[in-house]
Amino acid sequence: MYPFTYERASSLQHSVQGLRSDPEAKLLAGGMTLLPTMKMRLAAPSRLIDIARLADLRGITREGNTIVIGAAQRHCEVAADPTVRAAIPALAELAGHIGDPQVRARGTLGGSIANNDPAADYPAALLGLDATVITDRRSIAAADFFLGLFTTALEPDEIIRAVRFALPRRAAYAKFAQAASGYAMAGVMVAQLDAGIRVAVTGAGPGVFRWREAEAALAGKWSSDAIAGCALDAGALNTDLHGSAAYRAQLVRVMAAQALDRLN
Amino acid sequence: MNTATFTPSRVEDLRLVTGRGRYTADWNLPGQLHAHMVRSDRAHALVRGIDTSAAKASPGVVAILTADDVKAAGYTDIPTGAPVKTADGSMQVKCAMPVLATDRVRFVGQPIAMVIAESARAAQDAAEQIMVDYEDLVSVTSMDAARRPGAPELHGVAAGNLSAVAIAGDEAAVAAAFARATMTTTLSMDSQRLAVAPMELRACLVDYDASADRYTVYTPTQGMLGMRGSLSQISGVTGDKIQVIAEDVGGSFGLRGGSASEQALLMLAARRLGKPVKWVSSRSEHFTSEWHGRALRLIGHIALDAQHNILAIRWEHQADLGAYTCYFQAFIGTRNLSVTMGGVYRIPALFARQELIFTNTAPVSAYRGAGRPDIAYAIERLIDQAAAEHGIDPVELRRRNFIPNDAFPYTTANGTVYDSGDFDGTMSKALVMADYAGFAARRDEAARRGKLRGIGFGCYLEASGAGGAPKDVVRAKFAADGRIDVFGVTGSSGQGHETSFAQIVADGLGVSPAAIRYRASDPSQELVGNGTGGSRSLYGAGSACKMLAARILELARAAAARALDAAPESLQYVDGGFQTGSATSDPGKRIGLLELAGKLARSADGAHPLDCEGEAVSGATFPNGCHVAEVEIDPQTGVTEVIAYNAVDDLGTVISPQLVQGQVHGGVLQGAGQVFGEQIIYDDDTGQLLTGSFMDYPMPRVGWVPNIRNDYNPVPTTLNALGAKGVGESGCSGSLPALVNAMSAALRSRGVPPMNMPFTPARVWEALSERAG
Amino acid sequence: MNLELTVNGKTQSMQCEDRTLLVDLLREQIGLTGTHVGCDTSQCGCCTVHLDGQAVKSCTVLAAQADGSSITTIEGLAHGDALHPVQQAFSACHGLQCGYCTPGMIMASTDLLRRHPDPTDEQIREGLAGNLCRCTGYVNIVAAVKQAASLMRAAGSQSA
Repeated sequence: MYPFTYERASSLQHSVQGLRSDPEAKLLAGGMTLLPTMKMRLAAPSRLIDIARLADLRGITREGNTIVIGAAQRHCEVAADPTVRAAIPALAELAGHIGDPQVRARGTLGGSIANNDPAADYPAALLGLDATVITDRRSIAAADFFLGLFTTALEPDEIIRAVRFALPRRAAYAKFAQAASGYAMAGVMVAQLDAGIRVAVTGAGPGVFRWREAEAALAGKWSSDAIAGCALDAGALNTDLHGSAAYRAQLVRVMAAQALDRLN
Repeated sequence: MNTATFTPSRVEDLRLVTGRGRYTADWNLPGQLHAHMVRSDRAHALVRGIDTSAAKASPGVVAILTADDVKAAGYTDIPTGAPVKTADGSMQVKCAMPVLATDRVRFVGQPIAMVIAESARAAQDAAEQIMVDYEDLVSVTSMDAARRPGAPELHGVAAGNLSAVAIAGDEAAVAAAFARATMTTTLSMDSQRLAVAPMELRACLVDYDASADRYTVYTPTQGMLGMRGSLSQISGVTGDKIQVIAEDVGGSFGLRGGSASEQALLMLAARRLGKPVKWVSSRSEHFTSEWHGRALRLIGHIALDAQHNILAIRWEHQADLGAYTCYFQAFIGTRNLSVTMGGVYRIPALFARQELIFTNTAPVSAYRGAGRPDIAYAIERLIDQAAAEHGIDPVELRRRNFIPNDAFPYTTANGTVYDSGDFDGTMSKALVMADYAGFAARRDEAARRGKLRGIGFGCYLEASGAGGAPKDVVRAKFAADGRIDVFGVTGSSGQGHETSFAQIVADGLGVSPAAIRYRASDPSQELVGNGTGGSRSLYGAGSACKMLAARILELARAAAARALDAAPESLQYVDGGFQTGSATSDPGKRIGLLELAGKLARSADGAHPLDCEGEAVSGATFPNGCHVAEVEIDPQTGVTEVIAYNAVDDLGTVISPQLVQGQVHGGVLQGAGQVFGEQIIYDDDTGQLLTGSFMDYPMPRVGWVPNIRNDYNPVPTTLNALGAKGVGESGCSGSLPALVNAMSAALRSRGVPPMNMPFTPARVWEALSERAG
Repeated sequence: MNLELTVNGKTQSMQCEDRTLLVDLLREQIGLTGTHVGCDTSQCGCCTVHLDGQAVKSCTVLAAQADGSSITTIEGLAHGDALHPVQQAFSACHGLQCGYCTPGMIMASTDLLRRHPDPTDEQIREGLAGNLCRCTGYVNIVAAVKQAASLMRAAGSQSA
């Protein structure tokens, strides 16, 4: 790694100030993405502001018909939390299958979504559950948050405090992992919300997206065979060493069906 | 938790499970400097210049080595291995890899310079400042591309990128056989390029003692002599001045027999700078720059008569050398692919034409089995394909053609002498174990669940290492603490030599293994013998250990006779001691061996009267077996589950059952890795390595092969004192054909034509979808 | 920077660069070389230690992040001469050959058993998904985890 200064954040505002005063500073929570990137010398922040312990960013609470999860909440904590498991089991399930146990002991919700890796799992949960990203200065709907490859709506000095998830009527997540990296080649969150049906797909394209055709079909019939004939534009999906766009399209279908079958 | 009664399975275990192993990177010497390598980021380019000025001024930098320094020190190139004879009687064109690139680089990752600094970070920072002026050339990263007319040539002396065309066997006899054949089958099979990927990253620490003119080299090896020999060859420093230390080695699998650029450069640096110098590799450097494995194409043609007797097999082999001839790929692509090219079958005519080809990729050398699992794979796959094409039952086709038990010793059509085996018995045992007969019902049940099952087996045979040394010698020295130190050459990288060899000596002496300490590659002992490799350590050095025990008893008998005041020939050796009586219950006068040893006076130089050597000459043996795999494919995703894996091996006499089983397990998973995912991939246009880390190179993990059942059908060999056949490479030799034949059977049932490995989910799905239309 | 951490029960103050990784602090500064480095993409698990009671990859943690925390390495697992049941079981079941992945594998296994004292095959597979071994073929490692689980349950019921 290139040299940098490490500091433990004393408060959320102090962290915002830190980012504001030094454009080369970066936030550090779990470090599961940032630290490997820095070890490869592909990123060289001047300063790391460690927000992992900030009380403002921690906590899992039920607020009416929503659950609010702190940005610095680790994947293992979300996976094991009784409130989450009772209210949104699909979310606990998703968190419990991110990476491997050692990664889950460190990686955080905020770190994952701020990075917006196209193969990360959480973006599918946020988009599929119509979640709201709560930052230090505003709330951003999931649909407006994920803008593209490794890009979000966050301003350079903006910090995610928490994510608010509305309780779905029901939801399930199924993922097909790439054998080497463990990242999703296709991860599908299927959900019935009060606001309607959501099918959110991660891993298969340049960023998380909603499979609208499947959502429409499921509105008619909530079952895996309803989506069998749904169009899915393979042209918009990734081709790489590990599989073609056509294969990813197939995986999206299969994972969506698996998620639905789990609910039926 | 009462652990007072815990006895470790292996001597090595106690230190390894408590984190007290000593691997090379764990060593540090006072005042040490650190090195970092500069490597080519082009697949093929002229090097117009290397500008080290900014790097030299970088903080903490002490020195920068380039090819000029290598030349000035009189160092030569990386060893090329013994040259291969070509078809027209000439010798192979060898193109040795320079320790550091001179005017040209020929693969991404090729070493160009070494930066030495006060810390590893300082060295890395400086290395980034080195500017290499490249003039790009067109690269060829596949054998097909390298052999196309007009392809750019890597080496002027190797026209068309061909290093050699070799032949083995009888071309005319094979042609005649094909002329009268009733049916033939042809199949082209790739054994794809792999990374060896032992878990320990390569490292080296060299200390030079100017007053004694001695180098101490800490680096992982497969036995000290091979590493020392290669360092001596590169540096010109005689072996007596080089001491190699490798206390614990984190896996090797054929990779660590000899020195690469870094170890030699550290010798140069340590001497010049008067301080120890240390280098530790990164995993990405392992992928780009360490020798790769396999990288072979095997095309087999088989001829049968109307009764399904095999009349001949004709082989065309292509071995990818990589950019340079380093160590073993030439040997692998020729001798190792032909020595057992008829497998376990009685085949009257065999022939192979073998091409060795240069490409702009990392040089290829030995990886677990070094060609022998590959040829076993190809034979068994070819047999299954012939069975399928001509409607013959694959079990019957083999049974009809096995070398029968009464034919041993059996000389193959190309002159290899197999000593022993029970091929039909082994196959029968394996098929029963796997409930082969009941497969159809399981296949149908799976089909009802929408899944596709396949069963396949491989009757492999491989030639374990003849060894390069004339004999294996081990030496016993009775230590002051009452135990016996046994010194040998061969070094463990996980095989448990400390345990096995101690056990063999202990068994021969009738004492507890705790009384014996095996010490590999001890610098104080000069010995003749082979390093670990070719699965021969147990029977090679192990046989020497057996001879050693006999020799110790021979010497001890005379001393015991004097101690008991009896005639030497009248004494019995019972339960670890000499006695006048004939039974345990009636010993008469008795003295235990270790007790006797304790009483004997040492000579002035400390030598003990019972110190002696044991030696054995042990040539190749022929481990063989039948592995059966049952797989279940999910056609929706292409994912394959290995439902069952049954292995029956003939390893001759088994000395340490638990260790042998472990070797088979490890080999099976390495085979599974190759079958289901591992592959080194270069970009054809840019020559860049695409699979440069564990993010893109799928290593087998827990659950890839959840259960492996082992059984044995031992036919002891007369070729060494233990009756043991090697086991190190058997797991791979059995798993490649078993798993691929199972996959092929399943896919064939859906009309999919033969596919190469790896059977990744994506590739399997694509193949099935193409057929489904 | 200045750190204070407790390693294998011993609290110590140290100084290191901000960019020092926890694994390098353990290996180079404290001299606990039982924790190994096997890759550069945080995937092999050879560097696994316990940080505040949980298995983590010490190559992907800054020493600075561990300031104030408690760390257990492979060297701290045994109680004097008494090996931990997981260590015993790995040897008894021949779940190690070259030993390089073994410290990380053992640390991951003890963490897995903490969460699942009677683990299913699936739980073992998931629990060791972050650890690579090139030698053993894993079958004996799974057996070792199950044997350790038995030993620990038996000991637990004995002391109950």
